[in-house]
Amino acid sequence: MGESSQSSLLLRKQLSELNKNPVEGFSAGLIDDVDIYKWEVLIIGPPETLYEGGFFKAHLFFPKEYPLRPPKMKFITEIWHPNIDKNGDVCISILHEPGDDKWGYEKASERWLPVHTVETILISVISMLADPNDESPANVDAAKEWRENFPEFKKKVAKCIRRSQEE
Amino acid sequence: MGNCLSHFCSAMGNCLKGSASDDVSLLRGGDGTRESLSSDQIHSSEIFHQQLSESNVPEYYPSPNVRRPLNQLTEEEQIKIAKRMGLIQHLPSGVFDESAKPRECVICMIDFVPGDRVRYMPCMHVYHVKCIDDWLMRSFTCPSCMEPVDVALFLTYETSGHR
Repeated sequence: MGESSQSSLLLRKQLSELNKNPVEGFSAGLIDDVDIYKWEVLIIGPPETLYEGGFFKAHLFFPKEYPLRPPKMKFITEIWHPNIDKNGDVCISILHEPGDDKWGYEKASERWLPVHTVETILISVISMLADPNDESPANVDAAKEWRENFPEFKKKVAKCIRRSQEE
Repeated sequence: MGNCLSHFCSAMGNCLKGSASDDVSLLRGGDGTRESLSSDQIHSSEIFHQQLSESNVPEYYPSPNVRRPLNQLTEEEQIKIAKRMGLIQHLPSGVFDESAKPRECVICMIDFVPGDRVRYMPCMHVYHVKCIDDWLMRSFTCPSCMEPVDVALFLTYETSGHR
């Protein structure tokens, strides 16, 4: 009942706010205009990082229980990063529910909170691009390469950026 | 887990047994005992019961990402949830009036209007009762400052005791 109307109201509010006052670094809209729970965002590779020059498309899937539960985020554009798995699924602590941490890596304060919005999530994701966390990698090969063979890591990222520009 | 709980029970002896049965009846309350509750308690218990499964059994969160109907909760989980509900009801609540400082509930991003039922956290953050109580049932932290509410509650009891 109230749950879904509250979440759709909150998401609509954020969408119109982002349309009115766009935030630097990304643009946001819906995948399909009739479904407020499925967003498409375009992230601009943050300047002065390896990802500079790239344009990365990603989808956000919100549950009806938002903001009590976090959305899932998936990169559609191919991207090589320690915290994004090979299917594009983003693995960062703020998208994990409290108490959800099987391995004990994350403090409760770093996990999902109902005050997070599309904007705060994307700001975290953009900072993750700039500064990977190799303690709990979603892409183990990328994390290993980032630590042990940085030139090769850079090369793979550069390839993703070129491809993202062609899309 | 079983051993651990029974160890805990034997350590606590009768004390836990007594409180456990009270707490469990608190979870099940709401059918026959409503008349004896104050209006504030009735309001809160309505919030806790608003999520019903298809079979009309209230659902709870033994941990933040696990949602289960009441009849599938272990006794241990029921006790944990009942204690949480009790603690939430100890948090002061009131009706928003215009002189209050915060304008917006940061959970639903809607401005408070006079007459809204709001809850005051020990850290002084304010939310709509319906927004924060649902969150507190999942995670007992303030979403704005991430302060664990139980710790803050005990600290306020301690300081008020010394007054």
